[in-house]
Amino acid sequence: MTKLNDILSPFTAWKHVVREPVTIKDPLNREAADRYRGFHKNDISECIGCGTCESICQNAAIDLVPVDGVETKDGDSGLRPRVDYGRCCWCGLCVDVCTTNSLSLSNEYTWVDEDPDNFRFVPGAENKSWDNREKGYKKPGNGYELYSPVRESMEELEPEQRDQSFIEIVQGYSKEQAEKEADRCVECGICVATCPAHMGIPEYIKAIRNDDLNEGLRVLYDTNPLPEICGRICTHKCETVCSVGHHGDPLSIRWLKRYIADQNPAEEYKKILNTETLQPTGKKVAIIGSGPSGLSAAHYLALMGYQCTIYEKLPAAGGMMRFGIPEYRLPYDQLDKDINYILSLGVEIKYNMTIGKDITLEELNKQYDAVFSGTGLHMGRSTRVPGTDHPEVYQAVDLLRDIVLGNEVPVKEKIVVIGGGNVAMDITRSLARLQKQKFGKVDMLTTSLESEDIMPADREEVIEAREENAVIDPGWGPVEIETEGDKVKGLHVVKCLSVFDENRRFAPKFDEEQKKFFPADMVVESIGQGMDLSYLSEEFKEQLKMDPRGRILVNDDFQTSVDWLFAGGDMIQGPDVIHGIANGHKAAMGIDKYLSDK
Amino acid sequence: MSKKLLKWNEDRTLFPEKNSEGKIDVDYDSHKFMKIWHGPQHPGITGNMSLELTLLGDEVMDCETHVGYLHRGFEKLMERRKYIQCFPIVCRVAVPEPDFNEYCFASAMEELAGIEVPEAAEWLRTLVLEMSRLQSFLAWIGGQAGSLGQGIIGQWTIYLRDLILDRFEELTGGRIYHMYMLPGGVRGLLPDGFRERMTQNLDDIDKFMKDVKKVMFDNYVFKKRTVGMGVIDPAWINPFGITGPNARAAGVAKDVRKDNPYLKYPELDFEPVVGKDSDIYTRADVRRRDLLMTVDLIRQIMAKIPDKGDIRAKTPNVLHWKVPAGETYSRAECTRGEYGYYMVSDGTEYPRRINVRGPSYTHAVALLEKMIVNANIADVAGLMVSLHTYPPEIER
Amino acid sequence: MQTIIENLQKHFQVVSYHQQRENLGFLIASKEVAVGLITHLRDYEGFAHLVLLTAVDWIEDEHFQLTYLLHHPEKKVDLGVRVMISRENAEMYSIHHLWEQARTYQRELREMFGINFPGSPDVDKPFILEGWEEIPPYRRDFDTKEYSEKTYFPRPGRETHDPAEYMKKKLYPNE
Repeated sequence: MTKLNDILSPFTAWKHVVREPVTIKDPLNREAADRYRGFHKNDISECIGCGTCESICQNAAIDLVPVDGVETKDGDSGLRPRVDYGRCCWCGLCVDVCTTNSLSLSNEYTWVDEDPDNFRFVPGAENKSWDNREKGYKKPGNGYELYSPVRESMEELEPEQRDQSFIEIVQGYSKEQAEKEADRCVECGICVATCPAHMGIPEYIKAIRNDDLNEGLRVLYDTNPLPEICGRICTHKCETVCSVGHHGDPLSIRWLKRYIADQNPAEEYKKILNTETLQPTGKKVAIIGSGPSGLSAAHYLALMGYQCTIYEKLPAAGGMMRFGIPEYRLPYDQLDKDINYILSLGVEIKYNMTIGKDITLEELNKQYDAVFSGTGLHMGRSTRVPGTDHPEVYQAVDLLRDIVLGNEVPVKEKIVVIGGGNVAMDITRSLARLQKQKFGKVDMLTTSLESEDIMPADREEVIEAREENAVIDPGWGPVEIETEGDKVKGLHVVKCLSVFDENRRFAPKFDEEQKKFFPADMVVESIGQGMDLSYLSEEFKEQLKMDPRGRILVNDDFQTSVDWLFAGGDMIQGPDVIHGIANGHKAAMGIDKYLSDK
Repeated sequence: MSKKLLKWNEDRTLFPEKNSEGKIDVDYDSHKFMKIWHGPQHPGITGNMSLELTLLGDEVMDCETHVGYLHRGFEKLMERRKYIQCFPIVCRVAVPEPDFNEYCFASAMEELAGIEVPEAAEWLRTLVLEMSRLQSFLAWIGGQAGSLGQGIIGQWTIYLRDLILDRFEELTGGRIYHMYMLPGGVRGLLPDGFRERMTQNLDDIDKFMKDVKKVMFDNYVFKKRTVGMGVIDPAWINPFGITGPNARAAGVAKDVRKDNPYLKYPELDFEPVVGKDSDIYTRADVRRRDLLMTVDLIRQIMAKIPDKGDIRAKTPNVLHWKVPAGETYSRAECTRGEYGYYMVSDGTEYPRRINVRGPSYTHAVALLEKMIVNANIADVAGLMVSLHTYPPEIER
Repeated sequence: MQTIIENLQKHFQVVSYHQQRENLGFLIASKEVAVGLITHLRDYEGFAHLVLLTAVDWIEDEHFQLTYLLHHPEKKVDLGVRVMISRENAEMYSIHHLWEQARTYQRELREMFGINFPGSPDVDKPFILEGWEEIPPYRRDFDTKEYSEKTYFPRPGRETHDPAEYMKKKLYPNE
């Protein structure tokens, strides 16, 4: 039974005695493979301290800690990840989920130290021998994404459908789209600090994901009583710092806010927000101007039980939101939805009341316990180049107001707009629509001092204006408006080389050699607005302290040097809606503090 | 050496008397019995598990398996982790073949979430699973030989296994715990030059396995100690839930890769390896041939695997991925048998329950306790290893 | 798969059958008929292989779900039998006589979920845990985090900051 072979065959093992050894000669210095997941590296100048690495780490091995030399600023928390190698399992998910791609793993894997606490370190901030190693694990490509970097696209009217009318262009997200977009959020909260109102952005996006839009509305109203409006026209500074935007499209925070507001019916607001009954304090506050800051102050004061009365110069409420922003961006019914809710809290509004004429500030002081003023910036500034006093040269804000009021608006065949901000785009696109209605074609040219890359207008505004056949030719400084009798001939410009000096101060430099002439029969100036304080009496103005930039001086509570007068809105900060909302809110809390102390 | 010394003492007159049921009552006070612990030291391939043996002379009268030395409560831990956070811990359920955990977890989750994995990722997963089987078999052969005193085999096969670990290192970034197959896909394409190096390694393995055959399998001592030892009756297969090589050595061609094909196995050409005699020798031989088949499968995969393509499907944001409510079971054929994940989702971001079915669960407890009775104490290690059990997948 | 279920319906009341995929289905059986149904599946339908037996704690609904996953070696299909039992005095009939490994599963369930299987050999013997005094650890109301905080101590020196909170503290503390 036993085969001889079975006895002899095992001896073949002896041939391995003369085989060359396979062991590695110097195992301590063996370099790991290119993709090896070794010790952490972090490019701390790229890192923004968003903390997604911390939230994905299932071992709780990562802490976010302040680091010397890294400053907390917009879009950067100033924190950096610290890794505890007592817990890390080198799975590399922190690398995969890193929004800035700053985190990676080197292929170094030996580290000897006597002090166990040294194995808790901040990669990138504490120098390590592997910091400059090229090899190691990085986020893979080839369609490998742990969250989508691509924004859910928004349905918009085609340029041909929209360029004749003032119908709203942006259609808003469907439920499916909104949930998909909300899903992209990594909940880092970097955006909250940048939002002037410090809205609970991650929370309301989470409410969308959970399909709990009532909760979403409550989060919105915590800090912002005009969500329909902000959901459409907010300057969305939050999106510029969105961590997802570092490698991909930023979250569409503005449209998501609009989605929540759109989906909640106006008649249920009071129930959802639990404002059906409010506890009155018996105190009264007058508010001048029904713009964002006035409405915001009125809303939060009303919630605190104050009886608020708004004095409005024009026949409708909303201020610049109604009289500055064209209907195609912000339809009136949506504007009214937000305003009507605020009015339903018991806020009274008196239209066609000009302070200083129909009633004076001093009288308001007598009738009310405190006064809030948010009269905004309604006086268009002029370039003051020769020819600007010609009757065919207009101010954008005046024209926009007239369009809303239904007054007749002069529309010529060839129009030039000076300005590169959102107001310039608004007037360009409004006039383009009117031209199309009147002449069947568009011949608009908009020029600005700022070159294309630093134009203050929102990027999509510029793109959409061009889609609507307006010409945008930025980077030119106006020299003279050529006129001939009662007719305007056009605008002479020279090339603008730079707008700001090294201290970021306004100091434009021009190249006088490069000239251009834009022919036109009408010129519109839109280079900014100033405030109109003519409603204040001279002796009152003397009591009121101003800051060095000519703005009314206010403290942290938005209280002026006259203790019963609070001020906010574009006069103080901005100009934009969200700053107005934020300081209206803060002023409301300041008024409450002032009146409670009194 | 007289023949007598090697032989089993068949004279039972010195033994305690059997009772009316034909069994021996264990009475420690009689000083004829001894209780010894086999384990829980980790001698090699059996892991930290212990057998509480009751001996009569050198014969095992009774055995109780004790597990729990590596219990980390993974199933419970996963219930408070988001799905993506389970991914780095599932591999730790089984050291010899972490990838089956990754695959079963990912595929169960993908099934519940309705995710289609890209073609390239499917091939890479197939490759990694087969590589994983290969290195596990290599480690096991060394263990089986070692348990019967043949240290040299272990030195060879652990070297061969290291070659595969080198390939794992360059493909996945890790040697033991690869953390490569995450829900939705995998984490990288083949690196440059991988094919050539892999082909070289496979050739080396083929060459060495010829020597292993000569030194281990065509070995009088090895045969003497394994042929006819530790027979698994084919009738036990279903009552004991036996799967994998343990079942195939008994002539039952059970192989999940054929029975419930997954990944790219339908496109590969193979037949399950079966044996006849179902003893330790046959099981070892089935595993040896299975290993060679795995080498062949890797060659087939290398010929078909694409070099380009997406490696991960589009999935929801992993930081708050809600998997639709439902339950499923996903299985794969590892070297020890059927590996499976039973996953229950309640529609939240956290799994409701995940249950890991490790093949050792049945092999190491019910089956081993039955087979070990009446074995010689010297054969216990060989028998244990021949079932290829691995305790962490029992206690998880 | 469909024919198996149709056959089954002749003898048993099959509740809420759900086909998860081509070769895997789940059904619910009542506690009383479950063992009979499983025996029938094993002996007459050919589901000879017990893949696993485990439990799910539906604490909100105050019951445990026991899942008996059975495999048909010839037809290569799986059938999960789900049995809901009350969490209070949780008890289930044993199936150790059907499959040898069932006693191991039942011993584990007894230890980890506190589900009793009267008659199952060694069911009360500790399986994985030794000297465990808390509630069965795989029940949902056992809080692993609380337990670990009570039992172990954290390494000192760890602190972290929430980015949004930290930025508020740094940039706009008074708002």
